Amino acid sequence: MHLINSQYHEDIEVQGDDLLFAVEHLFFTYPDGGEALRDISLTVRRGDRIALVGKNGSGKSTLARHLNGLLPAQRGSLSYQGEPADANVLAAMRRDIGILFQDPDNHLFCNSLYEDVAFGPMNQGLGREEVESLVHGCLEAVGLRQLMYKPAHLLSYGQKKRAAFASLLAMRPEVLILDEPTANLDPRQEQIFKELLADFSGTLIIIDHDLLFLYDICERAIVLADGRVHHDYSFRDLVSQQHALREHGLDFTFRFSCCGEDHHHHEPASHRHYHHSHEHGDNALHAPLPDPQTPVLELQHYSFRYPDMSSGVTDVNLIVNTGETIALVGENGAGKSTLAGCLLGLNRGEGYFFHKGREVDQKYRRSLWRQVGMVFQNSADQLFCPSCLEEVAFGPRQMQLPAAEVKMRVDEALDSVRLSGYEQRVPLNMSGGERKRLAIAAALSMRPEVLILDEPTASLDPESQELLLEILERLQMTRILITHDMFFIRSLSSRTIVMHQGRIIRDYPTLEFLADEHLQAINGLDYTYKNHCLEEIRDLQHIGRHHAHFPHLLPHSHPPRTAD
Amino acid sequence: MADPGQIIHLSALSAGLLPLMFLLPAALIIFFATRKKRGKDRTDAPDWSIPTIDAEADRTSLFHRWDPAAKAASLIIYCFLIASLKSLTCSAIALAVSILAVFLAGIPWRGALRRLAAMSGFLVMFLVVMPFSASTRPGETLLIFPLLENLPFHLHGLILALTIVCKACAIALLMEPMLGTAPLSSTLQGFARLGIPGPIMQMILLSHRYIFVFQQEILRMHRSMRVRGFTARTDLATMRTMGNFFGMLFISSFDRTQKVYEAMLCRGYQGSYPTFERPVTTAGDVTKGLLCAIIGVLLVVLDRLFFSLPI
Repeated sequence: MHLINSQYHEDIEVQGDDLLFAVEHLFFTYPDGGEALRDISLTVRRGDRIALVGKNGSGKSTLARHLNGLLPAQRGSLSYQGEPADANVLAAMRRDIGILFQDPDNHLFCNSLYEDVAFGPMNQGLGREEVESLVHGCLEAVGLRQLMYKPAHLLSYGQKKRAAFASLLAMRPEVLILDEPTANLDPRQEQIFKELLADFSGTLIIIDHDLLFLYDICERAIVLADGRVHHDYSFRDLVSQQHALREHGLDFTFRFSCCGEDHHHHEPASHRHYHHSHEHGDNALHAPLPDPQTPVLELQHYSFRYPDMSSGVTDVNLIVNTGETIALVGENGAGKSTLAGCLLGLNRGEGYFFHKGREVDQKYRRSLWRQVGMVFQNSADQLFCPSCLEEVAFGPRQMQLPAAEVKMRVDEALDSVRLSGYEQRVPLNMSGGERKRLAIAAALSMRPEVLILDEPTASLDPESQELLLEILERLQMTRILITHDMFFIRSLSSRTIVMHQGRIIRDYPTLEFLADEHLQAINGLDYTYKNHCLEEIRDLQHIGRHHAHFPHLLPHSHPPRTAD
Repeated sequence: MADPGQIIHLSALSAGLLPLMFLLPAALIIFFATRKKRGKDRTDAPDWSIPTIDAEADRTSLFHRWDPAAKAASLIIYCFLIASLKSLTCSAIALAVSILAVFLAGIPWRGALRRLAAMSGFLVMFLVVMPFSASTRPGETLLIFPLLENLPFHLHGLILALTIVCKACAIALLMEPMLGTAPLSSTLQGFARLGIPGPIMQMILLSHRYIFVFQQEILRMHRSMRVRGFTARTDLATMRTMGNFFGMLFISSFDRTQKVYEAMLCRGYQGSYPTFERPVTTAGDVTKGLLCAIIGVLLVVLDRLFFSLPI
C-alpha cells in the first residue's frame, strides 16, 4: 500500500486567487478515540471537480465536514481562500460552501419547501424580492416549483433529495460538497442530478461509491483509506487502474459482464404470464390453474390503498413460483415496496392472496412472517438489538424454537453472510456493508420460503456489493429483488416485473426486459444510460493493461493540468 | 348525605335512551371526523403551489386578517374567561360563539371535528362518571337506573359534567381560528412577540416538522419487527425488545438532531429563524381583540349575575 499526499496539483503553479483549500497535515480524532483523519495534505483549486472515494469509514465524510467549516482543525492546518480557518473563516466557509448530507430529511427542517429554500438566502441578508426569485428559480431548476408549499414529510424520497439540493443552490455556493447524492434514487432521478451537476459551474466535491455516476462529472479522484489520502490523481487514472480500485474496495469491474460480451446468459425459469391473460369461469370465478406446480405466492386482482385513500397498488396479478428469482423494477413511488408489503401480509388490500394455494385470510396473514422474509432498504430500520447474535436470534426466538436450534441457526446464518465471529459486535458500529449482510442473516435465520430484498446495493461500496452478489447467488430460496441495479437484475433474476403507477405493466424474462427498448417511453426510466461509461472504462483498463506489458508505448494520455 | 328533593325510578327503556342522548353526539363527531372517501381513489391532489393554509381557507376572513400576536393574546384571554364560567347556559353560549368563530374563519370543519374527536373519550368519561359520583344536594333530583339502586344518578352531576364538556369544546374549537388561520411560523412569531422565549418557539417549529420523520422511523422499525414475528406481550422478552427499540430510536434521534443542527449552521443559522415580516398591530386588530374581550367579559357577568348556581 502506498501513500500519496495530494500530487494532483504538484506540477501546477497555483496562483493565490485560484487556490480554494489548502490542507496540511490534518489530523482528527473523535471523542471516543477513533482516529478519522491522519496526516491529510491536499489542495483544491477553484473549478476542481473531485470524486472523494474510499471504503465506508475511510474518513470521507469527516474530511468533507472540515472542508465545509463544520469541524475545526484539531491538528494541522486548513486554509480557505488563503486565510487560516479561524472561527470567522469557518463561519464564512459554512456560508459559501454547500454540503448535501446523505439523508435529505436533515436538510428540510422548515414546514414547507418555500421556507426551506428561503432559509439560507434570508440568513445571507438578501432582500425579499431577491429571495423570492431565488426560491422560484431553484425549485424550478429541480422540478419542484409546483410543490412549493408542500410540507417535506409529504414528499417522496427523490423529491426530498432534490428539494435539499435546491436549498443549497439558493445560497449560490462557490463550492458544493455532496455526500451520496444518488443513493436510493431511480435512474431518472439520477439523470436529473447528473444534469444539475453538469450545469453547476463552481467547485464540486462528491462522495459516492457509484464511480459510473461520477465518471462523466468528476475530473479528479481523491482516494481515502484509513483516514489517509492514498491516491490523488485524475479520475480517468483511477478507473483505468483495476488494481488500485481493488485495493480500496472500489473495483466495480465485476459489473463489466453487464454490458459486454462477457455476460453469461441465464435461461429464464419457466413461468406463465398468468395475470395478463388469466381466465374466468362461467361463474366469474377464476379458472383453476392448469399448471400442476402451485405458486408459493399468488395475488389476483389485488389492490391496496393507503389510509388516506391514495392508491398503493392497483389490480395486481402476480405469481411467484418456488425457487425463482424475480426482479421488481420501476421508478421511485411506482409501488414496489408497497407490493412487497402486501406479499409480507403487512398491507392488507382487496383481492385474492394465496400462499401455496391456500387463501391468506386475516388469521393466516398474521403467521405469514414465518414463510416470507424481508431485508429492508435501510438497515437502520431493521437492526435494533445490542449485538449481532441477539439480532440474528430475534426471529428464531419469536418462532419459539429451542435454544440449541436458535444457536445453530444463528451460526449458520452468520456463516452464510461471512460474519462468523461477529456475534458480540454492536450492529450500530459496523460498516454499511456489514450491516446489510447482518440484516440478511437476520432474515435467513428464520429460513423463509421467500426472501424479499429491497434495494440491497444502495449505499454500499463496490467491494461490499460484490460480496453481497456472491452471497445472494448462493441462497437457495425464492427471491424477490427490488432494485434499480441492472447488473444485479441480470446476474440474479430470471424474470423481471416492471411496475408503474401502482400497476404491473410488464412481466417477462429478464433477457427480454434488458432488450426492451419501449420501456423508457412508458415510465421514463433509462436503465442503460451507464453502459457507455462501463464500455469506456473497460477500454481504459484494457489500454492500461496493454501499456503495463508494453511500457515503451505508453503515451502521456493524462498530462497534469496547468494553471490558467 | 343531604335529602334529595325527588327520586325517579327509570324504566329500562328510558334508562337505555338517556346515555344514548349523550353518547350519540360523540359518536357522530368521531364518525364525521374519521370518515374516509370510500369507493374511489383520491385524485383531487391539492395545489401545493399556493400556501397550504390559504389554499383551504377563506383568505379574507376576519381571523386571517388578524395580526397573529393580537389574535393569540385576545383568544387566549377569551379562553381563560370561558374556563371561568360556572353555568351550563353561559357555557353553551360560549360553545355557540366558538362554532360561529369556526364558521367565520372559513376553515374546513374536518380539523375541528378531529380535535373534538380526540377529546371525546375523555369527555364521555366525564359524562358517565360525574353524575354517579357527585354528592347529593338538598332538593336535587335523583334518577335510579334499573339494577343500580345503590348508585343514584345525580342531575346536578350531569349538569356539571355538561358544563365542563361545553367549555372544553368551546376552547378546543377556538384553537382552529387561532392556529389554523396563519402559517405556523407566523403564529409562533406572534407568540414570540407576546414574550414567549424564541428558542421555545423554534423547538415547537422543529418538533412540528420532525414529529412526522420520527413517526415514519417508528413505523418502519415496527414493520421490520413484525416481519420477524414480533408481537407485543406482557412479558420480559417484550420489555427487553421494546427497550432495544426505544434505545435505537433515541440514538437515531440524537444523531439526527446533531445533523439537523449542522445543516442549519450551513445555511447561516445564528440562533433565530429569519423573517421578512415586520408585523404591526393595527387599530383593527385591537378592535377585534376588544370585541373578543367584551364577549368574554359579558359571558362572565351573565354567568355570575344571572345563571350561576352554587356548586
